[in-house]
This record gives sequence, C-alpha cells and structure tokens, in this order.
Amino acid sequence: MFVYEKKLQYPVRIKNCNPKLAAVIISQYGGPDGELGASLRYLSQRYAMPYPELKGLLTDIGTEELGHLEMVGTLVHQLTRNLSEEQIKTAGFDTYFVDHTTGVYPQFASGYPWSASTMQVTGDIIADLTEDLAADGAMV
Amino acid sequence: MNPDTGTTPRPCADACGTMPGCAPLAVPYVPFQQEGSRKYSQIDALANGTVFPGLNLPFHLKVEPGTLADDHSTQLQALLFVVTELGLYLDTHKDDAEAFQLFRQYAQLAKEAKCNYEQMHGPLTQLHAGQDAAYRWLDDPWPWEFHKEGGAG
Repeated sequence: MFVYEKKLQYPVRIKNCNPKLAAVIISQYGGPDGELGASLRYLSQRYAMPYPELKGLLTDIGTEELGHLEMVGTLVHQLTRNLSEEQIKTAGFDTYFVDHTTGVYPQFASGYPWSASTMQVTGDIIADLTEDLAADGAMV
Repeated sequence: MNPDTGTTPRPCADACGTMPGCAPLAVPYVPFQQEGSRKYSQIDALANGTVFPGLNLPFHLKVEPGTLADDHSTQLQALLFVVTELGLYLDTHKDDAEAFQLFRQYAQLAKEAKCNYEQMHGPLTQLHAGQDAAYRWLDDPWPWEFHKEGGAG
C-alpha cells in the first residue's frame, strides 16, 4: 500500500522555462536509466529476496525512487511552463510537443517510450543486486 | 548481506569499507559502511544529498549546492531526509543502537515538523484532511506547480 504525501522530497522552483533542457531531462523520468525504471526495478525485485534487510532496502529505496520520479516530472513540467510558439519550434521541442504538448510522458530523450526491457527481474538475488549496481551506481 | 563468510567487520574510516576476508573469485562485492560514521548537520545533509560525508561522492561536474529557504517546508524536508538516510542505514545495521537512537529522535522531530507544516500549508495526506473543519486536500499549490516561496514545494 502506498500513501501520497503532498510535498516534494526536495524543492523544485524553476524561474525560467527551457524546453531544450526539458527534452533532455525527460530521459531521467522515463529513459533507460530513469526514475520510473529504478522504482519498478526495486519494487519488483523485492518479492524474490529471502533476507529481511534486502526486503526492507528494496522496499524503501523503490519507494524513494517514486519520490525522485515526482521531482523529475516537476522539473519537466516547470521547464515547459508558459511556452511561446516560437520557443517550441526553435528549442527542438516540437517533436515532443506534437504528441504530448506539455504533458509529462515517460520516454527516452530520443522519443522512444519507456520500456520494461531496460530493467531485469531474475529472481536470483546476486543477479538482481548486480543489475541494480549497474543501473543505479552507488545506491545499493 | 553475506552471512556465510563469517568475517568480523573492523572499525575503519569513512572512505574505506571492509571486504570479506576470503571472497570467492568473480563475485562482485560492495564495501560495507561501518559503525560510527561522521554525519553532516541537517542543512548540510540536505544541500549535499547525503547525511554521511563518506557517501558524498559527487560527479566531476558537480553543481554547487543551492541555497534553501529557511521555512517550514525546508525544515520538514531536511528532517525527512535524515530519517530516510538513517532508515536505509538501519535496514542493513538494525543492531546499531546509536543509529537507532538517532532515528528515534529524528522521527519524533519529523512528526512535530509535519504538524507545524500542516497548520500552515494544509494536509500532507488525504487522511489528515479529516482533521480540518473544511476539505483542504484540493487547495493549491500541488507540489509540482511553480510558486515563488514557501508552500508545498
């Protein structure tokens, strides 16, 4: 069960919009190493974990990654606030805008939609934790 | 994580964890954090992204920590950051009495900070919306919405 807390983990206040930056940062939302994949990776791998410290860690880290997902979504949302037609065209944001306008869609920077093929759940604790190391660096 | 090796952790500085004394070949290991790690102050922890200096491993192009407003929102975020970090540490060090004592203290501080925050900015959870005379769960701003200072940000 998850309960939503109506706050961000860390403040996000972006004064000036920047659609070019948003088109890159969207990959941290739904890209191959983004927060959506991170949260689903940990929260899905935990079912096969036999040790209490691993059940706890994967649950707690996976939950925190959902908080990161919300912060990155907020970044993209605020970076694309009040865009002019000129800004959409000149910033290279037009290919995103034609499909999603200023909605926040989980995709790679290249435009490829988020895919579960970017993560793995093997049921083998060493294989899964090794994959986590590769995917998320120093988190484990 | 590996109860089979039977190695006893030894005290060590923040920058060097211990490895199993007799590790099998071709199996990757992560050096474990030891007890007694140094800790940042709350505000430094929030600015650096970790409460432990030993885990502050920035990328080469690190951006300088931003300045944070000293308000209810920041105080709550700082406290919850410490609770989260200590909680992750306790997940693998549940018998560390010093860390658990700290966790208890900060959990209590965070509980009080949530009450202060909610009196100023409205309910943090839908359940807490039941404590008010009117239904304030839908009040703006939502966390992702741009606003200059304060609020749920």
